[in-house]
Amino acid sequence: MAWKAIDRVNAPTEESPSLSEPLKEKIRGFFDRYPTKRAVLIPALHMIQDDHGYVGWKAMEEVAELLEITPSDVFDTVSFYSHFWTHPKGEKVVMACRSISCDLLGADRVLDECKKVLGIGDHETTPDGKYSLMTEECLAACDHGPCLMINEKMHKCVDPANVRKILEDDANDKLDIPRSNLYDGANRTSA
Amino acid sequence: MAKIILNNQEVETREGIPVLQAALEAGLNVPHYCYHPGLSVVASCRLCLMEMKMPHPKTGELGWAPKLMPSCQTPVRDGMEVRFDSDKVHENQERCMEFFLLNHPLDCPVCDQAGECHLQDYSYHFGKSESRMVDQKHVTPKKDVGPRTLLYSDRCVMCSRCVRFCDEVAGTGELCITNRGSKAEIDAFPGKPLDNPMQGNVVDICPVGCLLDKDFLFQQRVWFLKSADSICTGCSTGCSIRIDQNEDHVHRLKPRFNPRVNQWWMCDEGRFGFKYIHDKNRLTRLRLRRGESFESFRWESLAETVRYRFENIAKKQSDKKIAVVLSPFLACEEAWLLVKTIREIAPNATLILGPVPTVEQDERFPVGATNGDTKFIIRKEKCPNRNGIELIIKHFGGNTETFDAFVEQASAGEYAAAWISGGYPTEWVSKDFAKAAGKIPFKVVHDLFGSALTDEATLVVPACSFAERDGTFVNATGVVQPFARAIKPPQGCKRDGQFFYELAELEGLYQSPTVLGMMAAEIDEFKEVYVPPQLPEHQH
Ligand code: SF4
Ligand code: SF4
Ligand code: FES
Ligand code: FES
Repeated sequence: MAWKAIDRVNAPTEESPSLSEPLKEKIRGFFDRYPTKRAVLIPALHMIQDDHGYVGWKAMEEVAELLEITPSDVFDTVSFYSHFWTHPKGEKVVMACRSISCDLLGADRVLDECKKVLGIGDHETTPDGKYSLMTEECLAACDHGPCLMINEKMHKCVDPANVRKILEDDANDKLDIPRSNLYDGANRTSA
Repeated sequence: MAKIILNNQEVETREGIPVLQAALEAGLNVPHYCYHPGLSVVASCRLCLMEMKMPHPKTGELGWAPKLMPSCQTPVRDGMEVRFDSDKVHENQERCMEFFLLNHPLDCPVCDQAGECHLQDYSYHFGKSESRMVDQKHVTPKKDVGPRTLLYSDRCVMCSRCVRFCDEVAGTGELCITNRGSKAEIDAFPGKPLDNPMQGNVVDICPVGCLLDKDFLFQQRVWFLKSADSICTGCSTGCSIRIDQNEDHVHRLKPRFNPRVNQWWMCDEGRFGFKYIHDKNRLTRLRLRRGESFESFRWESLAETVRYRFENIAKKQSDKKIAVVLSPFLACEEAWLLVKTIREIAPNATLILGPVPTVEQDERFPVGATNGDTKFIIRKEKCPNRNGIELIIKHFGGNTETFDAFVEQASAGEYAAAWISGGYPTEWVSKDFAKAAGKIPFKVVHDLFGSALTDEATLVVPACSFAERDGTFVNATGVVQPFARAIKPPQGCKRDGQFFYELAELEGLYQSPTVLGMMAAEIDEFKEVYVPPQLPEHQH
C-alpha cells in the first residue's frame, strides 16, 4: 500500500529515553495530592519534559503504566498541548505569532521566512538540534507585530527581510534585562 | 411515559430518554454524529441542536429560548416543547455541515462508505451546496491503525464514537484524539494498535468513511449489496447479523440491533469467521458408495433411498441400533424434520448431540467486566444451536446418548446404521470417532467438508452453510431466533431444510416458518420466536 502514510501497528523505531527511577519516584510523590492517579498526568509530563527535554514514546508508555492509564491517553494529552514536545526540542525555540494582529501585519511571511532559513516546518527541529520552530497564539505584544520569540527573548516588528539576520545572531535569545529569579521554573518546582 | 410537543405535534415518549432519541423514534430525520445510544453522550458535533421552550427568567412566561440546545443531551421531561423545523435549527445544521466539509477531501468516488455515508446523506438533506472556505484544506494522513482497520483521517468528522467505543464497550482504549481544534485527529499509540476482539464495530459506528475494514476495502460498492437478516453461528451468543452479498458471494457481515442479545455489536471472530462458506474444498456432490469408490447420486432419489435403507435395517437387524447424530450447527427445523423421519422409520433410533466445540472461557466486555457491568459476551461454545438441539432431543425422548458414549458403543459394533450431521466450519472428526464410525456398516454423512468420516461413508450428503439456509437457533440464554438465507447454495448442493422436508415426505417447498409452526404445536419453547425491533429509520 504505497499511499500508507503512518504506521501504528508497529512499535516506533526511534530511540527515546526511559524514565529514571528518581524521576518515577518524583512522579509517585504527587499521587497523594490528587484524587486519582490519572490526574497526575500533567505535572508528570512537565517533570519528564524538564528532565528529557521532551516527552518521547518510551516515556509516554512508561508514565501510562505508572498512572495506570493507556498509552493512547497519554499521547492524547501530550499532543493536545503544543508546549509538550514529542521529539527532541532544539536548544532554542523560535515561536512565531500567528494570531490576528501579527497576521494582519504579515506574520505569515515571517513564518515562511523562518521555515525557509531553518529548513524545518512547524513543530520541527533542525537536524543539528539548534533550533525548533513553532507557532503561537498571541505573544502579548500585539501592538508591535509581527512578533517572534526566541526562547524568552521577544523580537518585535519583525521584517521578513531581517529574519535571516535575527536567526544567524548567536545572541538572539539574550534577554535585555535578566529574568528575575522569583519566576524561575527551577525554584518553583523545588518548593 | 411522557408527552412532549415536537414540531407542534404531541408525541408520546419515555421520560428521561434523550430528546434526540424521542425525535428519531417519532420518525424525524434529525442529523447527528456523536450520539450513539450504546455510548456515553458528549454532545460535541452540534448537529442535533434544537429549539426548546423555557420560562422567561423575569416574567416566567414560556417562550423559545434564545440559544439552541443539544437534543442528544437534553432528557425528555413531561410537557416539554421542542422543535427541529425552525429556520434557526436549519441554519445551524447548514453551518455545521459546511464546517464538517471544510477539510474533507470529497473523495466519495474512491470511498468505501459512499452510498451509506452520513456525510453524503446529511450534506444532501441539510447542507449547503458550496463551501465558502478560500484557504488551503488542512490535510491529515491516512493511518494503518490496526491489523484489520485503516483510518483515513481526512474524512473524519471527529464525532469520537470510535474512541468512546474502545473505552466504554471494548474496554481496551486503543484510540485517542491527538492535537487540538481543526488539527485534531483520531490516532492510536504506535505499537499499540487497534486490535481487540470487538474492534470491527468501530467501522460500523463511524458515520463516515474514515474507519475502514481492510477485509471489505474496495471489494464492493455498497449499493450492489443485498442483505438478509441472519444470526451469527460463531458462538452460542447468537448475535443478530446482516449478511451483505452480491451475486451469491458474501462480502461482509454487520451486526443488527438486538436489545436481548448483542445490542448494536458483534465480535471480530463472528464478523470475519464466514470465509469458509466460499471455500473451494466444500463438498458439493451427493455421492453414493459403490464398492471402494463413490459415484454421483441424484437428489431426486435421496429420500426414497434413505428411507428404504433405514427401514430395511430397522426390520432386519433389530438386535442392532440406529443412530442420529445431530450437529449443534443444524437449525431447529432441520433437526426436527430429521428426527421425526428417522423415528417414524425406526422408533428406537438413538438421538445424539454431536460434539460441541468449546474453548476455555467466555470473553466478557469491557475487558475485565464482571456480571453487573458486562456489555457483551463472546461465549465459549463455538456453535449456534446446542440449546435448540437439546430441546428437540428432549422432546422426542426415548433412546438418547452422549456423543462420547455413542463413540464407545459404535466402536463395540453396536450400531447398524447412522445418520451423522456435521456442518462444522472447522475440522471436527476425531481419530477415535472416525475409527468408531468405521464399525457402522451403513452411514449417511451430511457435512460441509470432506474428512476421514466422509471417506468411510455409504452416502455423502453435502451440507449448506448458514448463509444458504434458514430456520431458527436457540441461543445460550434460550432466546429462539429466526435467521434468513442470503445466498444460493453452491452448484450441486441442495438446501438442508429442503431435503429434510422431502425426507419427511412433506409436499412442496420447505419454508422454515411452516415447519416452525408444526414444531410449536408440539414444543412449547417454539411458540415464541424473538425478532428484534427495527431501529428507527434515521437512527445510526
Ligand atoms: S474516525 Fe469515524 S467514528 Fe471516529 S471520530 Fe472520526 S468520524 Fe467519528
Ligand atoms: S459473540 Fe458469538 S454470536 Fe456474537 S458475533 Fe461473536 S461469535 Fe458471533
Ligand atoms: S497577535 Fe501577535 S502578539 Fe498578539
Ligand atoms: S451534539 Fe447531539 S448528536 Fe452530536
